[in-house]
Amino acid sequence: MVDGEPEAAHGEESEAPRAGGRVQSVIAGAIPVLLGAVAAWLSFGLNIGSLTEPGPGLWPLIVAGLLVASGIGIIAVTARTRRDTEAFTRGTVAVLAAAGGLAVYASLYEIVGFEVPTVLLLFAWLRLLSRESWLMSAILAVAVTAVAYALFIIGLNVPLPHLIAF
Amino acid sequence: MDFSSVLSGFAVAFEWQNILFCLLGVTVGMLIGVLPGLGPAATIAILLPITYNLEPTAAVIMLAGIFYGAQYGGTITSVLLKLPGEASTVVTALDGHALARQGQAGPALGIAAIASFIGGTASIILLSFIAPALAGVALAFGPAEYTVLALIGIFLVGTLGNGSIIKSAAAAAAGLLLATVGLDPLLGTPRFTFGTDQLADGIDFTIVAMGLFGVGEILYNLEHRDRPQTAVPSFGRAIPGRLHWLKSRLAILRGSVTGFILGILPGGGATMASLVAYAVEKRTAKDPSRFGKGAIEGVAGPESANNAAATSSFIPLLTLGIPANATMAVLFGALMLQGITPGPGLMTDHPDVFWGVVNSMYLGNLLLLVLSIPLIGLFVRMLKVRPGILAPITVVITMIGTYSIRNNAFDMLLVIGLGLLGYGMRKLGFEPGPFVLAFVLGSLLEASFRRSMRIFGGDVSEFVQRPVSGTLVAILVLTVVVVPLLRKVRTRQTENAEQAGVTAD
Repeated sequence: MVDGEPEAAHGEESEAPRAGGRVQSVIAGAIPVLLGAVAAWLSFGLNIGSLTEPGPGLWPLIVAGLLVASGIGIIAVTARTRRDTEAFTRGTVAVLAAAGGLAVYASLYEIVGFEVPTVLLLFAWLRLLSRESWLMSAILAVAVTAVAYALFIIGLNVPLPHLIAF
Repeated sequence: MDFSSVLSGFAVAFEWQNILFCLLGVTVGMLIGVLPGLGPAATIAILLPITYNLEPTAAVIMLAGIFYGAQYGGTITSVLLKLPGEASTVVTALDGHALARQGQAGPALGIAAIASFIGGTASIILLSFIAPALAGVALAFGPAEYTVLALIGIFLVGTLGNGSIIKSAAAAAAGLLLATVGLDPLLGTPRFTFGTDQLADGIDFTIVAMGLFGVGEILYNLEHRDRPQTAVPSFGRAIPGRLHWLKSRLAILRGSVTGFILGILPGGGATMASLVAYAVEKRTAKDPSRFGKGAIEGVAGPESANNAAATSSFIPLLTLGIPANATMAVLFGALMLQGITPGPGLMTDHPDVFWGVVNSMYLGNLLLLVLSIPLIGLFVRMLKVRPGILAPITVVITMIGTYSIRNNAFDMLLVIGLGLLGYGMRKLGFEPGPFVLAFVLGSLLEASFRRSMRIFGGDVSEFVQRPVSGTLVAILVLTVVVVPLLRKVRTRQTENAEQAGVTAD
């Protein structure tokens, strides 16, 4: 029988995200405060009304108050070292690049149809973010797009903007 | 209980296309349960647009199957690789993987499958008796009661999650704020639309779920994408012996009851249930030192509990219209898309949907029991597909799905923005669950609150003075006391799990 000594999970340590610093913790509280303040200011622009006859602005104002209060609470608690944030790493750049690429993809959709942007997005993601080989990326990009075409446009009749028509 | 509608529910569940969608749902569920990274909430969110064209019962049968199927699948990687596919199977890895290293992976997986089956099935039976009674009570609820009920739901989901209570409150408040975008529910005044027509109808729930759960999870996993490949130990035949069964049968029974009770509590769900069941087993064992070294009860208890909880967490959704956890929030959205409002009226207005879905779970659990054993080898091989290949394919499916909702590229940008928000929230220690749940309940909460205030003439204390809403307020206050205790148990269990080197995705 193997002994019951706790065994570290395979390679988890190198992957385990590092906790973020105090600045990041304060930012985590500052964002709700800021968001709440803006929402409260916009709510006053709507009609608040009264508790008896609530206007459209009353509920957003209450919610904004909750946001500000919890944000202040987060900053107060964070001051007593609560490490539940994750530090941003070099991987963050990949995340932002992916989101940017997706935004370009979405804006091309209605202009040139879905086929070309889909092939390009898949290829770029596979090659640059997932580090697949050129050949593998190219084959997968075209194959997945073809399957998506068959499934969504021919099979499910989804009205996607597309170039190739049968 | 109205037996004729229960029986006709069986007839619905056994229509061939519903059997097919049930099979499809549980298979997809098991698959994503095996794959670490993509959880059931994200998968259901991504598949929502595809269910538009389906019949409501078939759609919900399939989506429900994904949810409870994922509990089965998560076990497989927990036991074999000590890489839990789902948070609810983290604790199973402790003794499950210890058994696997002793060459007993097969029996461990077998017991896990049987425990899951018994837990799930027992929970469906209990659900069938309790749900009608609860719905009957809820039919008398007015706006005041719904205000308090929605508050309880949001509060519990916020506090029983993994994040800090105050951060969950902030996330929930942000979700409530996002829900106010669009036209005022009672007066029709545009709010926070910034002058665009695109936001005049508010933000579709599917967009929020797909953005925060779907794209958000993919972006988050992109940062930690170098997952090393692990060798899979051989597991032999997944059939437990007589001795294993004798040792674990009481654990299964206790786990089923624990799981059922914790599943009903909003926010409890499968993860909480599995942790508490493990604690119960360790507490009741004659020799607690065996735990962590390959005690079969440590697999049987949590596995029956997480399936029982997954099933019973349908109760608040189907009888009160209050989703108990993030996945139920997505199912709430799925029902709304089909034009069905989940709530006390569901059982009487759409008995075919209610009993069809509930009774399909018997079949789903049976399918999972039969399928999981022969398919284990296949699923383990699926793990070899690199996450780097799955991620872009999932993204493309999500984007196409988003576009298909309103044939609108603006929605795609919205999903990407919400995906970034989900990523940022996780980096800063906020959970997306309370946000999405609060978003779902936002308009109900606001409308009920404003109606109550009109009825009460602006007197907030009426919430406490009316008998039913007063009782609910008392429950709300009680949970504020009980929840921190439950959190303590959980924290201790999680620490034990972490000491053993297990981390969930």
